[in-house]
Amino acid sequence: MASHRDPDKSSARPFAFFRAGARVDPSSANRPILELEDVYKYFQREKPTLRGVNLTIERGEFVFITGPSGAGKSTLLQLIYRKHAVDDGRIFFCGRDIARLTATSIPHLRRNLGIVFQDFKVIEHWTVFENVAVALEILEMPLRLVRSRVGEALERVGLGGRGDDRVDCLSGGEQQRVAVARAIVTEPALILADEPTGNLDPHLAIDILTLLEEIHATGTTVLFATHDHSLIAKRDHRIVAIEDGRAVEARHGLRSWQGARGLRVVDGGSSDSTRSSTDDRRSANR
Amino acid sequence: MDWKNAVVRARRGFRDEKRLYFVAISSLTVAFVCLGGALVGVANLGALAERWGQSGRLTVYLEDDAREQDIAQLRMVLESLDEIRHVDAVTPDQARAELLSEFDNDADLRNLPANLLPASLELTLAPSTSQQRTAAIAARVGQFRGVESVDTYRNFFAQLDRLLATGRGLALAIALLVGFCVLAVVSNTIRLSVARRQREIEVLKLCGATDAFIRRPFVVEGVLQAFLAAFIAVTTLAVGFIAMRPQLDSTLAALLGIHVVFLSPPVLVSMLAFGAIVGGVGSFFSVRRYLAV
Repeated sequence: MASHRDPDKSSARPFAFFRAGARVDPSSANRPILELEDVYKYFQREKPTLRGVNLTIERGEFVFITGPSGAGKSTLLQLIYRKHAVDDGRIFFCGRDIARLTATSIPHLRRNLGIVFQDFKVIEHWTVFENVAVALEILEMPLRLVRSRVGEALERVGLGGRGDDRVDCLSGGEQQRVAVARAIVTEPALILADEPTGNLDPHLAIDILTLLEEIHATGTTVLFATHDHSLIAKRDHRIVAIEDGRAVEARHGLRSWQGARGLRVVDGGSSDSTRSSTDDRRSANR
Repeated sequence: MDWKNAVVRARRGFRDEKRLYFVAISSLTVAFVCLGGALVGVANLGALAERWGQSGRLTVYLEDDAREQDIAQLRMVLESLDEIRHVDAVTPDQARAELLSEFDNDADLRNLPANLLPASLELTLAPSTSQQRTAAIAARVGQFRGVESVDTYRNFFAQLDRLLATGRGLALAIALLVGFCVLAVVSNTIRLSVARRQREIEVLKLCGATDAFIRRPFVVEGVLQAFLAAFIAVTTLAVGFIAMRPQLDSTLAALLGIHVVFLSPPVLVSMLAFGAIVGGVGSFFSVRRYLAV
């Protein structure tokens, strides 16, 4: 992997893997992009938010993470981008255990991820260009390259030519597009979208979902956390529901649940156990 | 370390938060003016103590039977010393006349004998003569033949010294207190400025910025803000000093015998450096609390 200080070599993936100078295991290229093994997270001593979550995300997948409010969808994503550390278990990103990263390596992990939030997390008094360029400035990329890559990213999210607009002059949907552009401008391997449509009306929510699907079509893996079942129902992507702190999944979308045995409880020691489809639908619709 | 990028981002911060910058620099300027004012007070009390600490004169009382030859030799020695500007001989009659003039030729005093007061040599010392040097001259002169005693007026000035030392200590304590207030104002102002940009820090962290990358523009801004405030404060004080100097000088010269002094160049440079350091350190620590994302 190229060093982030070498802009010419790094145009495809312009940053070091986790930290500058880190050696990369070549076999990790064949491993799933994300593997969660028996992951536990406690915010309250007696009631774990996540209890023994096992999950494997292959490269290039588009996965909905769903579940009721407070189920632990956001927590799951936060463990991946290391806002929080796991209490037990392991999380492998590209074959490397990120649950045990040191504080100094966390920024380098995040440079390999694109993160989109419900509240957009854009800086309102900055311009669209500045909001997107900030992800590249962190990589200390030359301004010429920053300009061209931000331009491309804005084109991809449908904001071409809007670089000089201040973000506080944009609509909610457009602000979220700015956030998506910021997430994709570094060409990350994995995009984590944490309820990205939560603050948008249904029409704009579909727009953002479609946008992320277009990005996924170029080979990027996307984890899309949402509790909006109307959105999930419109697509046939893999679904992982967080229920009682465990991951329950349907491989081919809600429609595949009709009488199928596709919904599996994936937890520690019983990852192959199945539930009845009726129960599955009930839990997924809860 | 990419400081160029930090300066670009600091400039962006200035562009976006002009009003906050104005408020911050104004608050810091007021704090630095207070600090500078207190230091000017300390400097002038110091000058006063130094001026009054030098009595500026010595009186050599001669024995009644002192020989002319001894007195002439003593005068010659005294006049050869660099610290002594003038040597005036005062006869007993002159001393008596001076005493009487001070008491408006009081009738009772006029009856005093003519040789009541001894003959003396009044020495005028150079203004830069220290207390130690004055005491050394007095001790040496006291050993000459024909000299009865030497008065350095130290008792009077020792009391004055104590008074001035108390005043100086008080001014220094106030300066220290103001210094702490400046620290508090600087850190709170910068903390406020950083808090307003919490979202920016959060976004940078989530995009993979290191703590050092995030801190740099804030440190640059803190240094610039506090340095600029200290500079404005020093300039304001200097302008005020120059404008008021003629009136102050004539008043203080008449009342206290001193000329008003401003902060010395090393103190001015230290104040600017203090501003820059406090600003930088204040920013460094203010940002720290928002870095846990």
